[in-house]
Amino acid sequence: MKIKSDQFRETIERLHDEGYTYLVKITAVDWKDRLEALYFLRDLSTGKEETVRFDLPLKAPKVPTIIHLYMAADWYERELSEMFGIEILGRDAKRLLLEKWDGKDPPLRKAFEWSKPYQGMEPVKFAEKYNEPDKKGKKGASRQNVIKIDKPFM
Amino acid sequence: MAETKINIGPVHPSTHGVLRLVVTLDGDTVKHVEPHIGFLHRGVEKLVETRMYMQSPSYMEKLDYVAPISYDEAFVATVEAALGIEVKERAQYIRVIQLELQRIASHLLWLGTAINDVGQLFSVFMWCFKDRDIILRLLEEATGGRMFYVNMRLGGLNRDLSPGFANHAYKVLDYLEHRIKEYGSYLESNPVFMERMKNIGVMSKAEAISMGVTGPTLRGSGIDFDIRANYPYYVYDKLRFRTQFENGGDCFARYKVRMDEMQESIRLVRECLHTIPEGDAIGMPIRLIGPQPKEKEVVVKRELPRGEVMMYMVAEGQRPYRFSIRAPSFINTSVLQHLPRGHRLQDLFPILASVDTVLADVDR
Repeated sequence: MKIKSDQFRETIERLHDEGYTYLVKITAVDWKDRLEALYFLRDLSTGKEETVRFDLPLKAPKVPTIIHLYMAADWYERELSEMFGIEILGRDAKRLLLEKWDGKDPPLRKAFEWSKPYQGMEPVKFAEKYNEPDKKGKKGASRQNVIKIDKPFM
Repeated sequence: MAETKINIGPVHPSTHGVLRLVVTLDGDTVKHVEPHIGFLHRGVEKLVETRMYMQSPSYMEKLDYVAPISYDEAFVATVEAALGIEVKERAQYIRVIQLELQRIASHLLWLGTAINDVGQLFSVFMWCFKDRDIILRLLEEATGGRMFYVNMRLGGLNRDLSPGFANHAYKVLDYLEHRIKEYGSYLESNPVFMERMKNIGVMSKAEAISMGVTGPTLRGSGIDFDIRANYPYYVYDKLRFRTQFENGGDCFARYKVRMDEMQESIRLVRECLHTIPEGDAIGMPIRLIGPQPKEKEVVVKRELPRGEVMMYMVAEGQRPYRFSIRAPSFINTSVLQHLPRGHRLQDLFPILASVDTVLADVDR
């Protein structure tokens, strides 16, 4: 369910009372113009699931903690704070859990700058008639010589 | 009495990887444990965003090197869900066979190392590793790889089962069924083992749900919940599958769940081998430029040996825009802050062993 960020606390308390007592995961997505936080909840007795999602601004995003309802939120909130720079209100989640990055943006933000070799290959295009045999009668993946690379790697 | 702080790890034989624990002690009673993780952090979630879909399965396998097929399958299933690809029926059966064999192998490795941690030294460890190796050889016959397989392809597999596979598998399963029963009877008649596992690290039902633990750790607290039964995928709803759970909530209950799960997996593999249909099981060859994704956001849940993995993917064009993993070991390791409290220092390692973490999976 999509909610507004100021309704978050009351929504999650209501869902917890309704039986969604199992927190599966907290994560976020950087949509370049906004952040979206996602809370995956589950009711273990019935198997019903609910995803609570709401938008946050890119600059100084804040969410209230839910650690008083879900103990599992402890490390997920710390990870969220570390990877997306989202401030967790109501608890100290500043201590880094997984890594120390040296850029100014948090690592899972799209604005995070990282060195080129780690950014993966440019898409390669196969020849159109990929599965037709070449001159030597070879098919498919053995036709390595027909792979064209649009842009060089790095 | 004054409190003492001691540091365990990051390199310690009983932490099964690079885990650092800072333990606050009063005498030898544990007051507080602070796990420090992140030594193996590789930023897989970010790396996957830069690779095309079928470049990532080999990364996924290294997340949980004890059960690589399971992670591989979960990732390929996520891509299949995003691209809208159906898995062939025979391939579904073969995937289940391989997943369950992998589960037995993973639990055997767990059993061997966990027994080490409670001071039962190397006999069981050696037996378990020997038996695990038999399964690895069987998987090698099926997939071509011993430790890392990368056998899943979109819509199917890279290799079908070899003609003699079923016969070999039946033999191995008969042998394993007998051996695992035997290990159980040895261990449960061993007073030292029982003393160190019973009533250690007790987690109540409510605590287990609130802490969000998963897999055998959750089921060891008396909760009848398994992704294979509650959200069945592939052919699990056609098989006679029973969720194994125990009510104790202590280390022994978690041990018992895993032992029963191995027997259940053996039954599942047998049933799959009986009922597997003929036909084609080969999936699409790896081509980096594939079809356009049909779904923008997908969530895929799978029951791994260590617990539930949930993969959330936002697909955009030929690469994921965002990829997030709910790693089972991550959440199971976080309970180390709570469980050992009030126990003696010597009980810390049975508790750590009983939640079964793989540190590469914790740190991602």
